[in-house]
Parts: sequence; C-alpha cells; structure tokens
Amino acid sequence: MASLVPLPTTLPTLSAKPHRSTRPHLTLLPRRSLSLLHAKCTGDGAGVVVSSTPEKKLDKKQEAAPDSEKKEEPSLVSSGAVAVVEMPKFKDPRWVKGTWDLKQFEKDGRADWDAVIDAEARRRKWLEDYPEESSNDDAVVFDTSIIPWWAWIKRFHLPEAERLNGRAAMVGFFMAYFVDSMTGLGLVDQMGNFFCKTLLFVAVVGILIVRKNEDIDNLKKLLEEITFYDKQWQAAWEDDPPTDSKK
Amino acid sequence: MASLTSAAAAATRADPSLHSFVGLRRVPLQNHLVTRNERNAPKTPRSLQIRASKSSPRLSGRPLRVAVIGGGPAGGAAAETLAKGGVETILIERKLDNSKPCGGAIPLCMVDEFALPLDLIDRRVNKMKMISPSNVEVDIGKTLAPSEFIGMVRREVLDAYLRSRAAAAGASVINGLFLKLETPQDSTGSYKIHFTQFDETLTLGGEKKTMEVDAIIGADGANSRVAKEMGAGDYEYAIAFQERVRISDAKMEYYKERAEMYVGDDVSPDFYGWVFPKCDHVAVGTGTVTHKADIKKFQAATRLRAKDKIEGGKIIRVEAHPIPEHPRPKRVSGRVALVGDAAGYVTKCSGEGIYFAAKSGRMCAEAIVEGSANGTRMVDESDFRNYLRKFDQLYWPTYKVLDVLQKVFYRSNAAREAFVEMCADEYVQKMTFDSYLYKRVVPGNPLEDLKLAVNTIGSLVRASALRREMNKLTL
Repeated sequence: MASLVPLPTTLPTLSAKPHRSTRPHLTLLPRRSLSLLHAKCTGDGAGVVVSSTPEKKLDKKQEAAPDSEKKEEPSLVSSGAVAVVEMPKFKDPRWVKGTWDLKQFEKDGRADWDAVIDAEARRRKWLEDYPEESSNDDAVVFDTSIIPWWAWIKRFHLPEAERLNGRAAMVGFFMAYFVDSMTGLGLVDQMGNFFCKTLLFVAVVGILIVRKNEDIDNLKKLLEEITFYDKQWQAAWEDDPPTDSKK
Repeated sequence: MASLTSAAAAATRADPSLHSFVGLRRVPLQNHLVTRNERNAPKTPRSLQIRASKSSPRLSGRPLRVAVIGGGPAGGAAAETLAKGGVETILIERKLDNSKPCGGAIPLCMVDEFALPLDLIDRRVNKMKMISPSNVEVDIGKTLAPSEFIGMVRREVLDAYLRSRAAAAGASVINGLFLKLETPQDSTGSYKIHFTQFDETLTLGGEKKTMEVDAIIGADGANSRVAKEMGAGDYEYAIAFQERVRISDAKMEYYKERAEMYVGDDVSPDFYGWVFPKCDHVAVGTGTVTHKADIKKFQAATRLRAKDKIEGGKIIRVEAHPIPEHPRPKRVSGRVALVGDAAGYVTKCSGEGIYFAAKSGRMCAEAIVEGSANGTRMVDESDFRNYLRKFDQLYWPTYKVLDVLQKVFYRSNAAREAFVEMCADEYVQKMTFDSYLYKRVVPGNPLEDLKLAVNTIGSLVRASALRREMNKLTL
C-alpha cells in the first residue's frame, strides 16, 4: 500500500480505548483509519483509494459498530502533507443524489421501511456530529414523509401504546378495587357514578401525559413558558414597574 | 390573542367611541371628553389623575418642541412625521455615516408605507433557501408574485435617506451624542437634554450643549441611553455576529436574488445562521441569546455549512451588534417614549426590526401630533400611552405567532428538521410570505389550516422519532 504515516497522537487513543464511547471528536482519526482498514480487510473494494481526502464508507454490514472498534492496527493513511484533518464526509451506497434510493432497500420485493428509518437516523447523527457544507450540486432533498404513516406507527407508536395500555390497565384494576373497598360499589355501579367516571378520565389523561417523572416538571414549566412572552409585553402596562428591571 | 386583530380592529374602525380590546387591557367606554374620545379613554387601574391633552395648556407663541434621539429608521421616520405635523423637531444622531451591522432586509409593506424609492434597494430577494441540520434543503418563494420581494438595503443608505426626508420636512438634524436628560420638577415643565455637538470646525471631541424640549423620543437603538436615563429597565438580547464576504462574480450569481437560512445546533442553539446578499458582497452571520461566548464557534460552523458557496471569498468586514429579544419593561415614562430597537421591538424567530422601528417611530410621532393638535398644545403621558396601545394592538399577533414558532421549531435539531420539512409545503410558504411581507396575520382557509396542523404534528412526530433512534446510535 502507499506510505502509511502513523500520527503518534492517535496511537495511544486507539489502544487505550478499544470500546469507543460516544466522544466522536477525540477518536476521529482512529475511526477513519479503522474503516479504511476494515474496508481493506473485507475487500469490499469499490475503490478504497489511498488519497488525500480519506472517506468513510458506511457499509450496511458494518452497522454492528462495536465490532469495528476491536481492530487494533493503527494504520493511518494520508498523502503525507495533510496538516489539517479533513472532516469525514457522509457516504453511503444507498444515498444517491441527495436522497435514499428506495430500490436498494427492498426486502422480499417490498421496501423495508425500518431500514430506511435506520439509515436516515444514522445520516442525521453523522451530520450532527460532523456538520458538512451544503452543496448546490449535491442537494439533499430527502423528505421523511415518503415513509408511509403506518411504518412510523408500527415502529414507534405501537410499543409505546402497548406500554401505556398496560399501565392504564394496572391503574384501572387497582383503582376499581380501591374504590370498591371504600364505597362498596362494584365495577358496574362505579361506571354509573359521575365522580368515578371523572376519576377514570383523570387517570387515563394522567397516564398519557405523565410518562416519566420529569414530565411533571416539564408540564409546569411549559405553562410558564407559554405565557412568558405575553408578560414581557404587558410589562409596559403595569402600574408600578418592577424595581428589578430584568425581565 | 387572535381575537385582537380582526374583532378589535373592526370594532374600533366601525365606531371610534367604542374603545375596547381584549388581552392587554380592558378599557371602559368614555364619552365625557367630547370630540376625540378614542384617544382619551382613561386607563382605570392607574391611580394617576388622568388629564386629557385636549384640556392641556395651549402653548403660547411657540410650537411643541420634541427631541428625537437617534437617527436610524425609527428616529428618521419619527422626525419626519413630527416635522410634517407642525412640531418643532430636533433629530440628534451621533454618527451620520454610520453603517449599523444589520441583516438589512425590509418587507414590501415598508416600501409602500414609507414611499421608499426603489433605487434604495440593492437587491430584491425572492428566493430563500432553508437548510436543516442534516443539510436537507428547501427552496421557498415559488408562491411569490413577480412584484413581491424582500428588499435588501444598506443601512447607511436607508438611514441617510430617511433623515434627509425629515430634514426636508423641517426637522433640524444635529450631529451630536446624547448624554443625559433632566426631568422637569412639575408636570408641565420642560425636559432638559444634555448632548455633545460635533462639528468639524469646532473643537475635537465636540461641544457640550443643552436644550429644553417638551418631549423626547428615544430612538437610539439597542444600547439606548435614553432608556437608561428614563429607567426603562433591561431586556434579554441576542448577539448577532456577521462577516461581510466578497465572493467571486460566479458565486455571487447564485445569491443574486437568493438568501439562505441555516438552522442547526452547530450554527446557533436558539437562532439561525444566514447568508444574505448585499450590494456586491454577501453577509454571512449568526446569532445567539444563550451561548454568547461561543459566537465565534457558531460563525465558523456557518461558514463551514456555506463553504462551497463562499469559497475563496475575502472577508471585508466583521461586525456584531446586540438585538433585543423582547420589549423593555417600561417604554413610556412621563413625556419620554422609546421606539424601535430602544424599545425592543424585534420579532422572535426572524429577528426583524427595521420595519417595526420605522413604524413605531411614525406611530409615536403621530400620537404626539394628534395629542398636541399639530403642535399647538402641550402633550402628556396619555398621548404616549396611546401610541403604545395602538402599536401593541396592531402588531401583538405578529409578535406572538413568531414567538410560538420560535418556541416550537427552534428547540432542538429534530424540531428544526421538521421546520424545514414544513417549509416545503406551499400553503406554509404562502402564509409565511404573506405575513412577512404585509405584516398581516391572516387566518386563511380553515381546511388548509387543519391540514397544515396535521402535517406539522406529523413532521414533528417523525423528527422526534428519528431523534430517539439517533440517540440509540453511537457512531
């Protein structure tokens, strides 16, 4: 292969952290070398060229990220005079002309929407960590609405719905028992009672809104946040402007 | 809040004596002061004695004298309206050739309302490109009519023009720096302003002068001295940082009528980065409220995102300026009022301020002219409160909608992705441009609104679902 110029700084990082944590900027160089190495090893060719602009190939097979980290060889490729580190650009064989080529996602003759969602999540994560220049020639035109609504529901809503229904059932059972023991009303009688129906409504809404402990605080803050701007504008109409003028 | 626009506006237009508006203050009907009721509706919660200007003492032998501090769009517009209305106007501007760091975008309604000559406008932007954190691009502007555009101006040119109009109307423009003001001892006395007058022929550093005036309009911008003197209070502000870059003609061709807006956490955590075309160069900038110390980092990120398009450009100027985020707690005190950036009239989400500065300057001046019956009577605080009331009533919906948009769509990268996705929708584009160009918050077609609401929620849900997937990934 062409001249390999090991940069000393990358070596300790590589050997010290075989299982990389989510600190992308520190392990930038090693990751690049790893992928190139990997590409060389698996020989998925497609021209892994040793050039001055190293590129990272995201191969579908390599998606099991932890595997690639265990490779030790710290070979770093550069054309010698690369003083400035080039940001690795996002590349994926299925990403064609600024959008996902749905034909490449086909499984059993139909598009595998889960894979599209995964690929897009990966792309966004990549770009968030390594922002790239927007380009006129290679404009990104992908729109998430091409993924049909039922694919989203199946993947994201249903597990959550299952969890919430479970919670509702458990709360409902316990509350029915509790109210019965307090008032002697059976389930059928409880349904006829207005107070019990209200309690049921509150319980269902509560489960929907409060999913984590943090949600309670978030909701309180939300109310304040909604009216904050209004209060700032109405300050001029206060009779006695506040002495601490910071609003 | 939406009821403010149509209902209240319709009511006041239909019957001037019926003065009510929902939201800010409830004002009871009054008709003891015969002719100009709507002006003089008292503010009942205030315990001050309400004295309508109609019964104010008539100024003998001299017209009302008003000092306008600051000669930007707000000051220029105010001075012109005052001078035209027969008020003796003094406009004090510290730097007559000042090129205030600014995006420089003005809406179409400003060109109409202020009768701006079209040669003032360097470029007419009719295409905007929104770029999401993952570089998804959306072009907006296809719904614009050929005659509609966003005007890009040079501030030094616009400000000088408005000042010259004020001078032509009879205002005296003084090159000076306002220092302090002295409030009068009683309610009818004059204010005394201290300022340094600059004149090349005179001493270096200028000559200290004082002047007695009846009222003061503070139009001196985000770091307003008048606001400090009158105890108006502070506001949160954003820092806008901008670099003017001269790029090659070939690259400039792309920006001929196009402005770009970059959103993303890398570019700004609570605002956006922009590339706006100016006369012969582009302005690349960004801004932030919460992370002011990282502004250089955000600027570097903005330059990176636009790298291909501004490559090889030479930076000809670097500038920064604070931008208010919300109005000051007190905008009127006695016979001193704030307008423009000094008052804090910059919208959220887009950070637009020029039009509101000029309009508020004009509205304040109109209130003074009316309250003083064309300069013949003394004014008092109630006239200035009239201006506040009118301004708030007219533009509150615009400000609130933009605030909601900022809160919803600038929260996180996921929300920004949804935002850019929504911008691809034609209805959204039409509504956005209508409300920007004409400053109207029009309800629009209810069915389309419903579709829009559903699509918005859909976009947000999809983006946040992807976000959750992203969090599970470690690259």
